[in-house]
Amino acid sequence: MWKRDEKKPVIGIFGFSGCAGDQLAILHMEEHTVDFFTQADIKFFHMAQSHQEVPKVDVALVEGSINTQRQLKELKEIREMADVVVALGTCACYGGIQYLGEDEETFKERMKYVYGKNGEVPEFLDLVGQPKPAQPISDFIEVDIMIPGCPISAENFVPIYTKLISGLKPQKYPMPVCVECKYEGNDCFLLHGKFCLGPVTSAGCNAICPSLDVSCVGCFGSYEGANFPAMIDKLKEIGLTEEDAIRKLKMFGGNRVEEALKGD
Amino acid sequence: MKTYTMDKKVFPEFIKLVKSKGKLFGPIKQKNKYSFEEINDSSDLDFDYQRTIIGIKKFLTPPKYKTMIFNKEGTEDVFDGDETNIVIGVHPCDIHSVKILDRLFLANIKDPYYAKKRDNLVIIGHSCLPDDNCLCHSTGTDMVEDGFDLFLTDLGDYYLVWVGSDKGLSLTIAADNLLSEETTEESIRDYVAWQQKRSSMFKKGMPSFKYMADIMNLNYDSDVWEQFGEKCLSCGTCSLVCPTCNCFNVEDIIAMNTEEGFRERQLDSCTLPYYSVVAGDHDFRPNRTARLKLYYTHKLKDYIGRWGQPGCVGCGRCVTYCPVNINVVTVSDALFGEVCETQEVCE
Repeated sequence: MWKRDEKKPVIGIFGFSGCAGDQLAILHMEEHTVDFFTQADIKFFHMAQSHQEVPKVDVALVEGSINTQRQLKELKEIREMADVVVALGTCACYGGIQYLGEDEETFKERMKYVYGKNGEVPEFLDLVGQPKPAQPISDFIEVDIMIPGCPISAENFVPIYTKLISGLKPQKYPMPVCVECKYEGNDCFLLHGKFCLGPVTSAGCNAICPSLDVSCVGCFGSYEGANFPAMIDKLKEIGLTEEDAIRKLKMFGGNRVEEALKGD
Repeated sequence: MKTYTMDKKVFPEFIKLVKSKGKLFGPIKQKNKYSFEEINDSSDLDFDYQRTIIGIKKFLTPPKYKTMIFNKEGTEDVFDGDETNIVIGVHPCDIHSVKILDRLFLANIKDPYYAKKRDNLVIIGHSCLPDDNCLCHSTGTDMVEDGFDLFLTDLGDYYLVWVGSDKGLSLTIAADNLLSEETTEESIRDYVAWQQKRSSMFKKGMPSFKYMADIMNLNYDSDVWEQFGEKCLSCGTCSLVCPTCNCFNVEDIIAMNTEEGFRERQLDSCTLPYYSVVAGDHDFRPNRTARLKLYYTHKLKDYIGRWGQPGCVGCGRCVTYCPVNINVVTVSDALFGEVCETQEVCE
């Protein structure tokens, strides 16, 4: 792991397929903005800077999922040039909503439907590279730390980021939304026969939706301790069909849901 | 223990008086749930409740609180809880939970952060009638003799006011004109009749705690754990709503300027992954079954071995709030069932 010395740590913030909301979220952490740009040497920040030469960095924050061959090549370059790679946001961590189209066969069909012929993207679009089904970055490279979020919250991001730039190891402690929901003292939707994905969803949002009486749809992606089969049983108990339950889980659950359900 | 009676007509005045002594909290109905919230006057209070989602522990071991601030020059301890918090409407089970927390945080090694909050907490208990999920008669926590400052027993038109501490006594002295020291035969009759009525209302019970520690031991390798482990969502709700669960994680949070920061305690749950990870990244309890077993053997076996009493006060919160029906009743029933089938020790 990277060690802090006298010079400021060099940071790169890279974005792939996604809404760029996590990069925006960093810029929106206004009380931290000045410190963010002065405490580290931000060498590459897709959304905030115009020069775009990819440098060697100490910490790479990578947002978005990978869905073109060119992105895949760039991602691998980032891994080689960075000591620490952080997956930023649900898309980078688990694939995001676009992971729903991950199935290779249906992907080809959709490409044909959109682009006609054999489904290949016209040559003049080579600057983005040939598309492929979206996958999280951890499917291709080793990821050191995951910060899920849709988008990430300052409360979640800052403690991890400041440890990294101070040369310390961040604490890995995954929790489901239910923990934060009970921190807020909320009642449980599931107990009243209402849909909620809190038990299988990564915390970090302060249970903002349940606190406003809106069920959790799982936007922070899969919680590491999630028990998907038991969750499906619970959702069936409150009236969902198995198919619907799985669809709901897959919306933001990405590769983890896919892996967990493979055995069934 | 000194006892007074208080006419319910003067209760609003009593609340006004109590409120003048500190920040006053009490049970408030919010949609489907009850919660201890700050109250303005007696009309906010709703004593017709069984349990709040989070018990009185929210005043003693809050979900998150700072214990230290630091910068490049050094560190400084932070002790929350300068203000007096008065909580009214606390049921016997929750008072027992405070007694258990006191034993953990104040007995051998005093936790200064807890001690500060505890010193400034005034507990005014309130009598209750059980619902189907209340278990306190099984855990022996349906009555309280101590652990409160004042305790109000609702006997229709009036309250019996029990004094449990010096803090409580000074409140009664301040409320001298609202209380009567006379206890009539009628009120004794009322009280006994009320107790009998209450006792007859308990429906759900747990197998005897006399054997619980042994049953847990005998069942340590039972398949029952595996079955519950398969069902458990690892969501942590049971620990967070349990009034005696108090485990916390400690995290140092560095500010974006990397010059300063603070240390924070965060309420934790032993049902979460990584709870038992130690230095070198070894995880003693890598799966749900092992973690669930820890939760229940700790609460229902280790507590009994150590203190002669379970870590469960029978409040029924896990019974009410676990989304997949894993709770002290279903777990102990399953374990007793297992032993009954194989060892013929149960009637």
